[in-house]
Amino acid sequence: MAVWLLIALGLALLAACTTLAIGDRPASGWVSAGAAVGAFAAALVAVFVYHVSQGRHALGSAFFLDGLSGVFLISVAFVYAVVAIYSVGYLMPGIGHVRLRRVYWPLLNLFGLALLATPMMANLGVLWVAVELTTVVSALLVTSEGSDESLEAGWKYIVLGSAGLAVGLLGIVLIYAAGVPTLGDHYTPTYSILAHAGPQLNRALVHAGFGFVIVGFGTKVGLVPMHAWLPDAHSEGPSPVSAMLSGALLAGALYAVLRVGAIAQLAVGATYVHTLLLAFGALSLVIAAFFALRQTNYKRLLAYSSIEHMGIVSLGIGIGGPIAAYGAFFHIVVHAAAKTLAFFGAGGILSRYESREVDDVRGVITVAPFTGLMVLIGALAITGVPPFGIFRSELLIVTGGFSRSKFAFAGLLVLFANVAFVGLYQTFHRMVLSRGDDADRENPRLRRPEQPLMAAAMLTSLVVVLVLGLWIPGPLDQLLHSAVGVIGGRT
Amino acid sequence: MHAAPHYDFVHAVGALLAIAALLSALALLAVKQVHEQVRVYAVQSAVAAGYTLLVGVDRAEVALIVLAVATAVIKMILIPVSIDRQITRRISEHEVPLVVQVPMSLLIGVTLAGLAYWSASALPIHGALLPSPALGMPLALVLVGFFFMITRQNVISQIVGLLVLENGVFLATVAIAPGLPFVIGFLLLLDLLPAVLFYGVFARLIAARAKTTSIEDMAVLRG
Repeated sequence: MAVWLLIALGLALLAACTTLAIGDRPASGWVSAGAAVGAFAAALVAVFVYHVSQGRHALGSAFFLDGLSGVFLISVAFVYAVVAIYSVGYLMPGIGHVRLRRVYWPLLNLFGLALLATPMMANLGVLWVAVELTTVVSALLVTSEGSDESLEAGWKYIVLGSAGLAVGLLGIVLIYAAGVPTLGDHYTPTYSILAHAGPQLNRALVHAGFGFVIVGFGTKVGLVPMHAWLPDAHSEGPSPVSAMLSGALLAGALYAVLRVGAIAQLAVGATYVHTLLLAFGALSLVIAAFFALRQTNYKRLLAYSSIEHMGIVSLGIGIGGPIAAYGAFFHIVVHAAAKTLAFFGAGGILSRYESREVDDVRGVITVAPFTGLMVLIGALAITGVPPFGIFRSELLIVTGGFSRSKFAFAGLLVLFANVAFVGLYQTFHRMVLSRGDDADRENPRLRRPEQPLMAAAMLTSLVVVLVLGLWIPGPLDQLLHSAVGVIGGRT
Repeated sequence: MHAAPHYDFVHAVGALLAIAALLSALALLAVKQVHEQVRVYAVQSAVAAGYTLLVGVDRAEVALIVLAVATAVIKMILIPVSIDRQITRRISEHEVPLVVQVPMSLLIGVTLAGLAYWSASALPIHGALLPSPALGMPLALVLVGFFFMITRQNVISQIVGLLVLENGVFLATVAIAPGLPFVIGFLLLLDLLPAVLFYGVFARLIAARAKTTSIEDMAVLRG
């Protein structure tokens, strides 16, 4: 298994170095796309061929994969792959607006590397370093459009993100200290050692530690009220970067929260962990759904949708039990596919209309039928309309909520998922299907043909979110069940 | 029966260093010039390195002594010098506009420190060579660093605020988890370098664009 994990990381690193050396040439895109697809394939092999469900160490105790890390690894690897493919098209002349082209590819690959490393790491200290690296790299990517707004967004992101992660590190240090009386002064804080010592960990320190972790890493997840950086970064970065932030970065940070939560629940009981997740999840869902109603910038709208979805995942794991937690982990996978589709579609619109404002975009379906259709389907998929995967995962979470008598939280999810649906769908409906300006039809920029690689990336995401809505393959089902065994399943 | 508290020279030095770290955080709130803020950070980092060295010597752990030296090199020299170069090269104005004025800042800083000690007293943990509650001073640095960061409208000051916050977390690590494997401690420290490098790139971009490192004009994105 170690070989495949090393291949995945090695490909991303190699692509980062190669693209740095060859600079802004078409080859950089192809190298990156090839490496990202290869890394995704290697991640699939590592997760599904080696039966990681029970938890496996590799390369001594450097790597660790179990159901929880498997779910996140395949999700971030998928996002990295489709984003790299989409980016090749997006960066072609006359399409997407990316000014800092020379650094785009090396940074994208480094971002992919740090994201892939996050769920592979076997100990809390290195996990923190991996998440911190995702921040510094992605903050610069956010600015790669070169506008004043993107610079402001990137700065806000790096400052708030770093402050959050420092608090998260304090949480990890407290968890480490909680193990010192039992494990001695000099132990390595691997998950398995900490989990083994679980009930003997100092309860007060674990309480405080997990509290700091959920606030600290929660800043990067975009949980309300620590979400201030997120709408700006998602809306001002180039669209493929937004897709990577939303589909993979938020999930990576949430992975860190859940990993520590899985240890914390062994020491202080699942109720404490679930309650914090429920509180932050419900708040994020409610606030983000309301903010989604009043957005006039369609990329910001999708950003609020990401906050909402991270809230839904937290809520699902917070509700707990085999059904809701399964739904929450499934939600991570389908959200990665649905949100990349939505941001890719938004990128297609932005590259034509050169405006993020909803009011500047009308009648997309008449000038760019494929992009229009993809955006509309993306909006339906992301808001949980059947038969897409998000519908299935949300239904599972609601069912799980009712089965555990958490009626209020299940009801909250039903209500605010619908509020978000209204906010999102009506906006994209207006942009795509309303009657456009007649002059638009003659505008060559608007009518430019679809870029095949961008279209291929959108179709890939669409197929994944659609197929997973109808059928969950056996190995994935097994993986999701084993993730539930790590956190969420305990009561 | 309670054992008599054991005070000796190393504990006394530990307590003095804790006081020095706390005072340096408060001093930061009183300083308006950007380059002086960076100097206060360097002094605070010297205190952090000194404390790490003290714990290392007391516990006879080579790893901590090496970490202390690395801290001194990176946080007292490399980071302050690299930030200073950003300032002297690029920036015309050196005084930072304050959202909260100095006397009020100090008052809030002292209150935050009190809050930190109060909440730390709820945690049943002893710190290496630190007066109880062990996490009081590190938490105070975290809170004051955060407060400084959000009330100073200048990119360099915000970086300094972040670094002070980070110093707090570092001191907490040495105090309550001095046995944290060296590799991890070192990785955490090294991680600062790319971070500061990237902050520097940002500061330069912002300075180049606006001819200032003030972020007063950065208020387009809201809601």
